[in-house]
Amino acid sequence: MKIFFICVLFILAVLIAAYLYRVLQGPTIFDRLLGLNGISTKAIILLVLMGTVFERVDMFIDISTGYALLNLVGALAVAKYLEQKGLP
Amino acid sequence: MDILSVLFILAGLFFLIVAAIGVIRLPDVFSRAHAVSLTDSLGAFLMLVGLALHEGLSKNNLKIIAVLALLYIQNPVITHATIRAALRSGLKPWRRESS
Amino acid sequence: MRPVSSEFLVLKATALFVLWVLLSGSFDWIHLVLGGVLSFTVAWLNSGHSPFVPNFRLWGKIFLYLPWLFLKIVQSSLHLSKLILNPALPIDPRLLRVETNLGRRAAVVLMGNSITLTPGTITAEIDHDVVPEALAAEADPDALLVHAIDETSAGDLTSGRLEAKIAEVFKNEERRW
Repeated sequence: MKIFFICVLFILAVLIAAYLYRVLQGPTIFDRLLGLNGISTKAIILLVLMGTVFERVDMFIDISTGYALLNLVGALAVAKYLEQKGLP
Repeated sequence: MDILSVLFILAGLFFLIVAAIGVIRLPDVFSRAHAVSLTDSLGAFLMLVGLALHEGLSKNNLKIIAVLALLYIQNPVITHATIRAALRSGLKPWRRESS
Repeated sequence: MRPVSSEFLVLKATALFVLWVLLSGSFDWIHLVLGGVLSFTVAWLNSGHSPFVPNFRLWGKIFLYLPWLFLKIVQSSLHLSKLILNPALPIDPRLLRVETNLGRRAAVVLMGNSITLTPGTITAEIDHDVVPEALAAEADPDALLVHAIDETSAGDLTSGRLEAKIAEVFKNEERRW
């Protein structure tokens, strides 16, 4: 079971690399923002999975909650800023 | 119980992989947002429910459900904010040429 | 500070206390007492803002609406996966205006959230906002500008089934805000 979770963890890391490609290559800045949002959702899942692997889910869940809240505030701030500023 | 959890996690992984392929393949911001929302809604749900099933009956399950509810409330807000900013700054959605 | 409705104060403090217990996860006396004092203080300090009375019956009805939404999410996820995995990539993105007669802020918010949560459709603008020149029609009171990835994803919106469901949730509720 542990081996399975570690495999899933590696697959998730590879998927994050796919989103990272979009962040680095995105034609517009909104592509980058969207890729960042996808990465953060995957990071939340990754943290819970890591907690399952290390058998410390109670601690890692708190970290992922904090991460989700920070992501909400950050993404909204950047989107609002870009909305007022327009395309660079 | 373990088999059910593995099934859920594999199904979630399928949707996550499809979403990653979509993020690379689709042509513009608006369509890519659909792919990201695929991850956010069903992929995260299946993965987290699979992990909660593996966890068994404990208070961690409640926390996992709280994270899931948080994701379901905040992800549409973020996607909507991004798409609205893109639309207001004058990006035109990609159209198929034949139409 | 504005006058405080005590019912609202108690409800807010209870909600904060439940969140505290959920996050701390320990049931010692010191943790419970500390959490109770802190949540009551925070609720008292904040009670000047947003003095609305929660409507539990409405929340219950929204909760009953969620399984139907989840079914829709599963269906459209499978549809979108088929679209993405198809080598020809047969997508046909479009912007469409969805007009609603819900007439309540909360109902429009719930509808926009449901549309965005369903893969394949995203709410791009709501009503009185700046509508881009591409779709410069006169905006009705409640109109959502929706980006849909193809014809089938937009089916529920154009046929008005989602709006009917949400109108059913908000039926028989007196409007408060």
